[in-house]
Amino acid sequence: MNQEKHFSDEFLNAFVDNQIAAEEKSRAYVEIGQDEALNRQVCELRKLHDLVQLAYREPPAPPARAASGTNSRQARLRFGVAASVLLTLGIFLGSQIRMPATAPSVTAVPVPAAATQQMAKAVPPAKPARTKPAAAADATDHVATLQPTAVVPAAEPAAVPAPVIARNEIPDNTATKVLIHLARDDIDQLSQALDDIESTLKHYRETRQNARVEVVVNGKGLELVRTDTSAFAGRIQRLQREYDNLTFAACQNTIERLAREQGIIVRLLPGVITIDSGMAEIMRRQNQGWTYLQV
Amino acid sequence: MDLLDFFLRSREAERALEQARARLYRVAYAWCHNAALADDLVQETLTKALRKSSQLRDPKARDAWLFTILANCYRDHFRKQRDMDDIDEIEISHETTPESETSSAEIVSMVRAAIARLPQGQRQVVTLVDLEGFSYVEVAQILDVPIGTIMSRLCRARNAMKDILLPAMQQNPMLNRAIRRIK
Repeated sequence: MNQEKHFSDEFLNAFVDNQIAAEEKSRAYVEIGQDEALNRQVCELRKLHDLVQLAYREPPAPPARAASGTNSRQARLRFGVAASVLLTLGIFLGSQIRMPATAPSVTAVPVPAAATQQMAKAVPPAKPARTKPAAAADATDHVATLQPTAVVPAAEPAAVPAPVIARNEIPDNTATKVLIHLARDDIDQLSQALDDIESTLKHYRETRQNARVEVVVNGKGLELVRTDTSAFAGRIQRLQREYDNLTFAACQNTIERLAREQGIIVRLLPGVITIDSGMAEIMRRQNQGWTYLQV
Repeated sequence: MDLLDFFLRSREAERALEQARARLYRVAYAWCHNAALADDLVQETLTKALRKSSQLRDPKARDAWLFTILANCYRDHFRKQRDMDDIDEIEISHETTPESETSSAEIVSMVRAAIARLPQGQRQVVTLVDLEGFSYVEVAQILDVPIGTIMSRLCRARNAMKDILLPAMQQNPMLNRAIRRIK
């Protein structure tokens, strides 16, 4: 009860929503970690946050809009005028300015050459069925599932969704199973999270514990595992090489949403697997007794 | 080339507005649970945004600016409908109640039903924070209310949802099957 006086409901909400200063947050982490009731409250608030996101991920489609309204007419007129002006301007500028014939296309999304080479190296040529049950084979197999997304040229719109993978589960005799959820793109937080993940894995290895760690990324957290946005690509690949009990899983719903809403064709880092839905994965894992940590 | 830059920027701004449509619609739907009304509100928001696009000085603030327009459109809509009602107290209807949803174990519908029960002011805050990830300061600007009010509304909203949803989820053995169906 004493702790509850320290942390009002408003403070706990601000803590969950990352609205308090870093120093205060780290102090609160320690105190909340030591108090089971507070810990439960924080977990419940995070669960509610996730449930709200889940509830409105796919709202019903709007009814077909009649094209005869004043607004749409105005919008069409504006668009027509703007297009005409741009066309005229383009013709004028085209006649005045000599553009270099080898100007690069701006529509293609380039994948860094190094990344493409790495991916090409990592992707085995053909793999009809998965036969290796060992955990060590997991990383290679995950790469294989990425093949459609990773190497299809950007110009093809059909390249967007990597098919949801069919994962053969490793025989589940592991004592410790931790799921870490990343849904934000804050560089400092992600860096801190990777530090924590690495130290956790190192601890398990040193203490010879049989553990599995799965990092689920969705929403803005997906940027961590995208070839074009990840600030930690090298580090993620190094971690995957060093720890075969570590998995990075990207939410397919987020990938599809990015393609649908922003036209972004997502390419994942080698070794990152896709899952049907980040939220569903979290629920499934919790149900299987995994420890859930949200960054 | 300044003129060309100007046109390119305008085109880019229009494209950004169009891309924001889905996000605006999602939040508008969460506020009113009516697809046709949500679509109208988004249309009105985008029309106003296009008309006033010169007022936007900082492109980084575009999201908060768009949602401010959406909140104003929504407020105006209810003002026209019910002059005497306080918008913060308006509750919307949902076809089912949270209690009846537990029997069919449809988690999405259950959460929506719980949100529909919240007073309008609380519903707006919780959806702006949870769906769009706005900071409390941004939500205070969007809804034009003090930040303390935002915090207390959020707190009350989550407490109410917790009371409805968490016991229902714990008691319902069918829930896990529902979760697996989500895609």
